[in-house]
Amino acid sequence: MEFDDLEALHRNSAAWRLLRADNAPMILSFLASVFLDTNTGAVAAPEITGRLDDTLAVLNERHPVARYPRTAKEYLDEWSKPEVGWLRRYYPPGSDVVHFDATPAVVKALGWASSLVAQPFVGTESRLYIAVDLLRQMAFGAEEDAEARLGELYRRRSEIDAEIARVQSGDIAVMDPAAQRDRYQQFSTTARGLLVDFREVEANFRALDRQLRERVALWDGSKGALLDEVLGDRSSIADSDEGRSFHAFYDFLLSERRQREFAELLAAVQALPAIAETDPRMRRVHYDWLDAAARTQATVRQLSEQLRRFLDDQVWLENRRVMDILRSIETHALRLRGRSDVDIVTAIDGVVPAIALPMERPLYRLRAKAALDSTPTGTGGADVDVSALFEQVYVDPAPLREHVVRALARRSQVMLGDLLAERPVERGLAELVAYLSLHGPEFEIVFDEAYQEHVEWVDEGGVRRLATLPRVTFLRSAELAAR
Amino acid sequence: MSARPHETAPDLSVAVTQLMKGVVYRDTHEVAWRHLLALQPQVRDHVAVVGLQVVVDDAEGYAFLRSRPDSGDGDEPAIPRLIARRQLSLHLSILLALLRKRLAEFDARAADTRLVLTRAQIIDTVTVFMSNTKSDARVVDQIDANIAKAVDLGFLRRMGDAEGSVEVRRILKAFVDAQWLSDFDARLAAYAQEFADPDGGGGNE
Repeated sequence: MEFDDLEALHRNSAAWRLLRADNAPMILSFLASVFLDTNTGAVAAPEITGRLDDTLAVLNERHPVARYPRTAKEYLDEWSKPEVGWLRRYYPPGSDVVHFDATPAVVKALGWASSLVAQPFVGTESRLYIAVDLLRQMAFGAEEDAEARLGELYRRRSEIDAEIARVQSGDIAVMDPAAQRDRYQQFSTTARGLLVDFREVEANFRALDRQLRERVALWDGSKGALLDEVLGDRSSIADSDEGRSFHAFYDFLLSERRQREFAELLAAVQALPAIAETDPRMRRVHYDWLDAAARTQATVRQLSEQLRRFLDDQVWLENRRVMDILRSIETHALRLRGRSDVDIVTAIDGVVPAIALPMERPLYRLRAKAALDSTPTGTGGADVDVSALFEQVYVDPAPLREHVVRALARRSQVMLGDLLAERPVERGLAELVAYLSLHGPEFEIVFDEAYQEHVEWVDEGGVRRLATLPRVTFLRSAELAAR
Repeated sequence: MSARPHETAPDLSVAVTQLMKGVVYRDTHEVAWRHLLALQPQVRDHVAVVGLQVVVDDAEGYAFLRSRPDSGDGDEPAIPRLIARRQLSLHLSILLALLRKRLAEFDARAADTRLVLTRAQIIDTVTVFMSNTKSDARVVDQIDANIAKAVDLGFLRRMGDAEGSVEVRRILKAFVDAQWLSDFDARLAAYAQEFADPDGGGGNE
């Protein structure tokens, strides 16, 4: 890289700017936690603002003087300015809430920062294999001579034959743990890299789209020439190198057979004893890929749809004419701006027929006036016995307790349902609640929210009642102590 | 209403009444839009009875009614207008023209569907063209009033956030079109000419 290239990058690259920012650790850690660690797409403004608020509060508490004095919203607005370019801020179709998404610049800056951490183990062997394998794929894939192809296939076959013979004779070469770890590290780096690369692929698609739009907007030739140009370029996103590679990848992911194979291989590898600390995210990385790829795919679809609309030649011509007229309007309007006596009135059609529906309105309805007596009524005497209010139904817990203890004398634990089957509920819901609030040294109550229990009884009115509650078990205390 | 409406047979009443109530958008009036697309010819005939014509823009995803232009031959009796013509002040006209410009620029630049401007952005755009003799606060009040009128007209839609953001509805393109803009420009040009003319310049009563 030459000086000028680096100078331009230093000035223009959003990723470099992010690394130079004083707040870089805060920005990177926050954006990584929101978008990259969880493989999340766009996040709605209220959610991300709330999370940034929390993050800032925690960070500010560490220092006597707040290091991050601005509000979350100010930071987000700053980061999403086009000239800053760390977040993309937009309104997704069908939502009135601003959404934010991290740009590839964030991914790059973060990747660079994390590459500074010294790796405990740098595998070189696996990468050599990959490099050789890639060369072999290319050399073989590009070979047009049938003889040469056959020669390569025969060579591979004799290799396989030799290996079969070796295994048959009992000589099984097991990959040593270091080589396994080397490959696993290589795999997880690639897998994770792929995940974040989708962001960049998406950004590149957007850039392609923008270039095309610019070309159309600045087009000076004839309409026919424009259509040629446009028709030739319509599928430029799908036909770019990036687009083709992406589609091949997406097709691979969508193939059920390959997905299954991938999942099985992954599970087998994760089970290897040599791979001590497996990355939990790796276990489902193919689903994450699928999510990320689907998001990119949706972007491509939206882009082509928008582009088609933009390229509608009628719209295009109208847009150009409109821009010409608007330039003239601006010039004239500027010249008139000091005058207060310009009485230009234009007219425009309403967008909707003016229909009044007087009969749809409700008729006048006389409202009964409520007499308001604002004199205080005074409080009642303090000698009123209010206890009657609380004791409409009284359940004596003592017999219930006794029932539980008796039941536990025979077994170590008993479920509420069984208790009630032996001694039907007499006082309705109040009695059921009394059971739940029982306590004593002899037993302990355990609620299990995972299961439900149905309890039935017949109330005084003869109506059958059914209550659904978590499974309640009474455990004998000795049992508890024994555990 | 469920997200995926039942595929019932297209119903003329649904299509026409929704149109009579206002602009039908593909994304917000999913059901009515489907009925309307299926029954375009019938809707066309139906509203023609009351002197209206239906405009459906499939690419942009909206449909609305407009008054049928006079045929001009005088054979048919004139039908009273159902759709009112709204009078726009100079500054409201300028605001609409500038919004139209933002929309065109937005389309040429980005692939997002929705142009959303904050109140501050609109004020920045328009202030330059406002009279410079008034105090700033009054200019801002006037712009606010014009934004409110544009909302009433159906060209802007408030997003309901703290910054007073509005979405520029794409229907604006159908109304503030090249024809309207060039009429407006011609009138501005005439005025500018008159003021530039030294005879008429200072001496207007």
